[in-house]
Amino acid sequence: MTLFTHGLRRALMTQQPLDVNMATAEPVVEEAEDYSFLPIIHDIIKCMDRDSPDVHQELNKLKTKIQEAREQISGLPGVDMSLALQESKLRMLREQVQTKNQLLQKYKSLCMFDIPKPS
Amino acid sequence: MNTTDDILWRAMVYCGPSANRRHCRTLSSARYCSRTRTRTRLRGETVMAAAAEKPTKDKLLSTLDDIEVLSRELIEMLALSRTQKLPQPGEDTDILELLVQRDREFQELMQTALEQGRVQQEMQALEKEVEKRDSDIQQLQKQLKEAEHILATAVYQAKEKLKSIEKARKGSISSEEIIKYAHRISASNAVCAPLNWVPGDPRRPYPTDLEMRSGILGNMSNMPTNGVNGHLPGDALAAGRLPDILTPQYPWQSADVSMGILPPHHGNDFGLEPPGHNKENEDDVEAMSTDSSSSSSDSD
Repeated sequence: MTLFTHGLRRALMTQQPLDVNMATAEPVVEEAEDYSFLPIIHDIIKCMDRDSPDVHQELNKLKTKIQEAREQISGLPGVDMSLALQESKLRMLREQVQTKNQLLQKYKSLCMFDIPKPS
Repeated sequence: MNTTDDILWRAMVYCGPSANRRHCRTLSSARYCSRTRTRTRLRGETVMAAAAEKPTKDKLLSTLDDIEVLSRELIEMLALSRTQKLPQPGEDTDILELLVQRDREFQELMQTALEQGRVQQEMQALEKEVEKRDSDIQQLQKQLKEAEHILATAVYQAKEKLKSIEKARKGSISSEEIIKYAHRISASNAVCAPLNWVPGDPRRPYPTDLEMRSGILGNMSNMPTNGVNGHLPGDALAAGRLPDILTPQYPWQSADVSMGILPPHHGNDFGLEPPGHNKENEDDVEAMSTDSSSSSSDSD
């Protein structure tokens, strides 16, 4: 289990596919740390290693974090469509706004009175 | 995680050297097949996920479920490994790899979701702008419609006016004739009482009984059809002279009146000499009319 824990820690640090024989460790990637479940899982495994009584607490933390993530995902705006679809809709909206602006500008500056030439 | 799984999971964590060991072993073998199938599915999904254009929400929830299953499996495996050997030594590495991969995917998807949230805000702003532009266009449309209606009415009325002008131009009458006619109408006292008219004067702007009886209609039964000397008795009346017996005698009448002033008649013939015709009126007519064919000097 100790090797296992080391491997997971390394995975946490590098966020790369785990290789037991990996010799080097790269700098920590911090930016997406908030949404990662690996630290909690690592803590659970550490508690299991030490037979710590906090393992229940850690398990509850993991469960709570998963539940909170689900609720957060349900409340996120704009995720009901794929990124590509959303971008195409955004493009369409921009074109609509541009077209309508041009139309309004055209009609506001249009000369309404075309004087017919005498026949 | 349901309640039963939760209890089992905690039991497996605390397996240790306890009676639950055998129980855990039995359960772990029974669930081994389902785990294998899950891992196979997860590996397959990794390949196919890129091709599918699922909504980001579905991808996130799916990845989260996978993380949950994998973490559960990993912890179960660790709990079992404390009491017995792992059935397959490479299995823990596979699970760990998959878990790390899924975790990374989840983080990327969350970043994508946050980006989509920002895009969604921009889209909402653009939608509001589109609505505003739509309302502007509708207002402009209403104003144009109103202007078109007003202009159409004005053009129609102008065309009607032009038609009536053209019609009047075609049937035009010279102003001299109109003035002469107006003079004759007014000279017979049909539109205005004579200047010396007082209450009690029998003169009226319409033919009175006396005039009717002395006219053609009144003497129809007595007179021959061709009249006397080609002239009908009405001609004498038309000429402006009544028989003496019919001439009313009033103090306001003078000698001129008996000769010329008669109750007005309603002749439409311009050639007839109107009652009340005197030299003054004749001068007025002559002054007003420059036409040599004026009938104002005609008299019978």
